[in-house]
Amino acid sequence: MKTLFLKDMRYRQARVVLTALGITVLISLILLLGGIMNGMRIQARQYVESTGVDLWISAEGSGGAFIGFSLVVEEYMAFLNAGQGLVPNSASPLVFAQARPNVRGKSTKAIVVGYKLGQLGGPKRAIEGRMFTPSNFKDYRPEDPVPYEVVVDEKMGLEIGEQITLGDEKVRVVGKTSSLMFVLDTPLLFMDVRIAQKLLLGNTPHVNMMVAKVNENFPVPEVATQYDEYETIETRTLQQTVGNIIEYYVDEPMKAVQFLRVMLWLAAGILVGMITYVTMLEKTQEIGVLKAIGAANMYVMSLLLKQVALMSAVGVMLGLVLSYVFAVAAPIFVAINFVESIIVASISFIVCCGSGYLAARKAITVDPMIAFRGEI
Amino acid sequence: MAAIVEGNGLTKHFGTGDATVVAIDSVDIAIEERELVMIMGDSGCGKTTLISLLGCILTPDAGQIRIDGEQIDPEAQDMSVIRREKIGFVFQLFHLLPYLTALENVIVAMDLAQTKTDEAESRATELLTQVGLSERLHHRPAQLSGGEKQRVSFARALANRPKVIFADEPTANLDSRQSDNLMSLIQELRQEYQTTVAIVTHHEGLRKNADRIIQMKDGRIIPA
Repeated sequence: MKTLFLKDMRYRQARVVLTALGITVLISLILLLGGIMNGMRIQARQYVESTGVDLWISAEGSGGAFIGFSLVVEEYMAFLNAGQGLVPNSASPLVFAQARPNVRGKSTKAIVVGYKLGQLGGPKRAIEGRMFTPSNFKDYRPEDPVPYEVVVDEKMGLEIGEQITLGDEKVRVVGKTSSLMFVLDTPLLFMDVRIAQKLLLGNTPHVNMMVAKVNENFPVPEVATQYDEYETIETRTLQQTVGNIIEYYVDEPMKAVQFLRVMLWLAAGILVGMITYVTMLEKTQEIGVLKAIGAANMYVMSLLLKQVALMSAVGVMLGLVLSYVFAVAAPIFVAINFVESIIVASISFIVCCGSGYLAARKAITVDPMIAFRGEI
Repeated sequence: MAAIVEGNGLTKHFGTGDATVVAIDSVDIAIEERELVMIMGDSGCGKTTLISLLGCILTPDAGQIRIDGEQIDPEAQDMSVIRREKIGFVFQLFHLLPYLTALENVIVAMDLAQTKTDEAESRATELLTQVGLSERLHHRPAQLSGGEKQRVSFARALANRPKVIFADEPTANLDSRQSDNLMSLIQELRQEYQTTVAIVTHHEGLRKNADRIIQMKDGRIIPA
């Protein structure tokens, strides 16, 4: 009777449904956590890769741009631009700093990106409104007025002309860029490097890093190594910088999440194993009767395994679907990778079936003599 | 008539050391073809253990068993094959699968013997009709009376046309009217299917139905 296991499952439907739902929740959590990490990785590289920068230069000891504390002086620009291997005058200052602007009366997380308009480090044009007014960088004196203007990420929902407060100053939104969020949906606020220095670096002629473009006739890694040999700066290629950011902002802090994912896998396996074991215990009498009337061990085993496989398959499939639904509804950027989700679903299915198999093996040891005692 | 089931020098112990209990002690037994024997005796005398040995559910510590002329070797043979091909069991508490209908409970026994679905369904319907349950084919055990459940249990035992049916206290949970009906049915089916039946019971009222009584005491067969 090919549907014997289905009839049994229908008879115990409450348990079957609850088990499948348990697997569904666990699998969707595993996939969502993976999707959050994947989303963070994507966002970690979005801005950096959008700039077209080849070299990221930070202060010695900082561990690279975006990682440790880094302050470099503007004078380095002249030294960099005079060096070999760079596109002439491509070296440009960049302030990249976390900030808490007050937006519509609410303190909001954001990252201030201060750069020279028309140079490397930020967008060249706005998708709505206009770019900020550039300051005169070269002949700047601290007392000179600066244009308090900012170009914001379109996802911030701010209108052109609105004002946000940064420190003690009001900054006016003059344009919007297409979405370039940093890790964990942190919006970027693009402004002139002078305002960033004034607002965040005490109006000193320092920046967090320099960026530059390598002449196409020179290999980027070699130029990076050449500049990295100077004692006062650290130089990284785009690839190294992206790797550093992902490691520092995603992989390291997310180690606990990775561990949690493994734990959730384990929990899914234990759940199925426990349910199968309890079902097996509950069905001991029934298994004994089946064996007494001639069922081979494999027949009994296959009855339980079919149930485990079906429950796991339904749970995993629902988990897969649900994770995509949750990903859309999540308040942060979640990017579930389809191939990864199929691999995770397959592994989860194997884990669930494996633990179910371990529990079902006990069924083989049931003594058919039990059929002469007790009730089903 | 030839013996369909034979046991020689059957011995079975349970437990170890000082706690060892000799459940069956050097029993020689032969049940002949188409015979209806009743195995009687006080509780704990070894009746159920004896039919479990003869039905290839338990393995004897000593002694030999022959079923339908074939020497049983528990080490070399798959006991489940013998149980599904040559033996039918009826249990005191019926032991029908609760999630299956009466019809499906009979079909499942044939499914174990890999009988084709169509054939299994028609034979199960025929058997259940013979035991008077043609109107109850699609009822679940919970919807059947004790007597009806035991009839389904007998139909299941007969499903694979076994050489011998072992019934353990089949009337213990039935009232006297249901017991009488069941015994009449067993007599009828035995004749029709030419099946040997061995019934374990301590219901003295059933004696009259037996071809032979096997009386047991303390794990041994004693003169009836």
